[in-house]
Amino acid sequence: MLLNLIPHLINGLALGLLFALLALGFMLIIGVMEVINLAHGSLFTIGAYVALAVMAPDGGLPYAFMEPYYALPAIPRYLIALVVGPLVAGVIGMGLELCLRRTYGSDPLYGLLLTFGAALVLEELIREIWGSSEYYLPVPQQISGGFIAGDLIYSTYRIYAAVFAAAMVGVLWLFLNKTPYGAVIKAGAHDSEMVRALGYNLTRLRLLVFGFGAALAGIAGVIMAPIWGIRPVVGVDAVIPAFVIIVLGGVGSFWGAVSAGIMVGLVVALTAAFLTDWSLLSMYLLLLAVVTFRSRGLAGKSSVLEA
Amino acid sequence: MAMDYAPKQTTAWITGPIALSLVVFGTLPLWIESVGLYQYIGVEVLIWVIFALGFNLLLGYTGLPSFGHGAFLGIGAYAFGLAQFEVWPNLWFCLIAAFTVTAAFGAVTALFLSHRRGIYFALMTIAFGQIYYFIASKWTDVTHGEDGLLNIARLPVDLGLVELSIADNGQLYYLCFAVYAVLVLLLWRLTNSPYGRVLRAIKQNETRVAFVGHPVGLYKWSVFTLSCGIAGIAGALFAMAQEGAYINVMSLQWSGIIVLMVLIGGGFVSFWGPVFGVILYFVARDVLGAYTETWLLWFGLMFVVLVMFKPDGLAGMWQDLMRRRTRTQPAPVAATKAEG
Repeated sequence: MLLNLIPHLINGLALGLLFALLALGFMLIIGVMEVINLAHGSLFTIGAYVALAVMAPDGGLPYAFMEPYYALPAIPRYLIALVVGPLVAGVIGMGLELCLRRTYGSDPLYGLLLTFGAALVLEELIREIWGSSEYYLPVPQQISGGFIAGDLIYSTYRIYAAVFAAAMVGVLWLFLNKTPYGAVIKAGAHDSEMVRALGYNLTRLRLLVFGFGAALAGIAGVIMAPIWGIRPVVGVDAVIPAFVIIVLGGVGSFWGAVSAGIMVGLVVALTAAFLTDWSLLSMYLLLLAVVTFRSRGLAGKSSVLEA
Repeated sequence: MAMDYAPKQTTAWITGPIALSLVVFGTLPLWIESVGLYQYIGVEVLIWVIFALGFNLLLGYTGLPSFGHGAFLGIGAYAFGLAQFEVWPNLWFCLIAAFTVTAAFGAVTALFLSHRRGIYFALMTIAFGQIYYFIASKWTDVTHGEDGLLNIARLPVDLGLVELSIADNGQLYYLCFAVYAVLVLLLWRLTNSPYGRVLRAIKQNETRVAFVGHPVGLYKWSVFTLSCGIAGIAGALFAMAQEGAYINVMSLQWSGIIVLMVLIGGGFVSFWGPVFGVILYFVARDVLGAYTETWLLWFGLMFVVLVMFKPDGLAGMWQDLMRRRTRTQPAPVAATKAEG
């Protein structure tokens, strides 16, 4: 009986780690810019659509000069998608940061509102380019399909997604904790004015961190696309769990976000196994249960944004 | 905080702007068709103005950014429909039921929110908005899910001796106008009362208000509950206008759009901001919408530019204009204070 749960646990792990990736990018932006980026879901969606355009000939960019490119085998195209998707999301994120500059120093609410407006604009742009219909992202044969082990069917892609997301979380942790760049980012999240006083270029740091956070959203979008499909509003489905994870894990805590992500992923996947319709509600019930007893989540610190 | 409401409070029940708004909205059905619009847009505008004025108590006056408020509009609409179908199809009863039920939902929600601030408040309201959206979409026995609760009647206005029909959009408009008139008077008094003063202080600095001895949590809880009750009334009117209760207004996008309307109008600096914002939104929808299907793209862009360059919205621009005019005249310094 318990063994039957293994495929669901893998699904949950994949979902949870991807949510955590999204949440970590969101938290970096909160830390350094003190901005709640409501466009984070749109950046996720952009990552998915760009991957679609790179992977599939019918994915919105049916230009004749692209034909020799689509003749390439699937694997190199997929690798290109893994790079270009986050790259485009990152560049758009940097553009957003340029707009946000005018709101620094005033009420954080203005930054939040600006990103909400930007989310509207991005979503409408996506509708304009790709239409409202649903797409599926084709992936190379090696990571699609499934296999049977024991009596259970496993989806190869879910395992790949879980491993990929875990690797990304690991790389991100190493980057933030073992490199000088990571040290500056963490210091910026702690007290950005002091980082400026120490002679770092804060303007450039903010630009790069926003781009980096957006790129994390973009890559989560690329990986999630084959699981969820691609719709203009898919970002909302992804970003809400990410918000829940942030409140659950607590703002500013790396492992808080990762453990909350895995918890949410597992809870959603396990409820989905038994009560499909209500799977997302379990996530909110978990949230209420945790924050009723721990108002800053599992590992949150007090934040400037609370004041 | 760059700007705030006019610091002076008033004890007047009727001020110039209130009288003006009553005259403009009161005569609207007479001239709206001659400016190229139609009666139904007047109904929509007034309903959303009611919703936005209630919401601005929370967002503008208390500085609590709720991103789940659309859910309460939806709850009001469902409550109105269900009260009508299941209990007693009387307008007053159903309106009171919509108010009470929505306020009760708000009161329970606020228990989880009233001790939170800033980002945690915003994220928790998103979560609650999604919970209600989710329940409404899945509990199909009650809400009929994506199909919506259909055939909600426009109940006649029972005045004891006479019964007035509101089947026509023009007639429904005057019911909305009556609700608006009562609400605007009450809200004006409320925001200019000591209670309103404390709300504005909470927006400035919650910790200090607590030090002075005000029960901050109770204030936040009560203003959230009241704001939800008003959303319930707006939802009831909306259910009659649409002759049905639908789930789409409960989505995150609509909850965001109400924030956008209030802000674009200048709800942060003026009592009247939400009114301007709602009018701008609906007129833009119809005028831009006539030219392009992606009007929301242009509206969103306009909003982004506004937040960047003029975050105080339309009302802020107006106040700047008035200030500049008084400055060019050799007026006493005290007269440069903006009018609420």
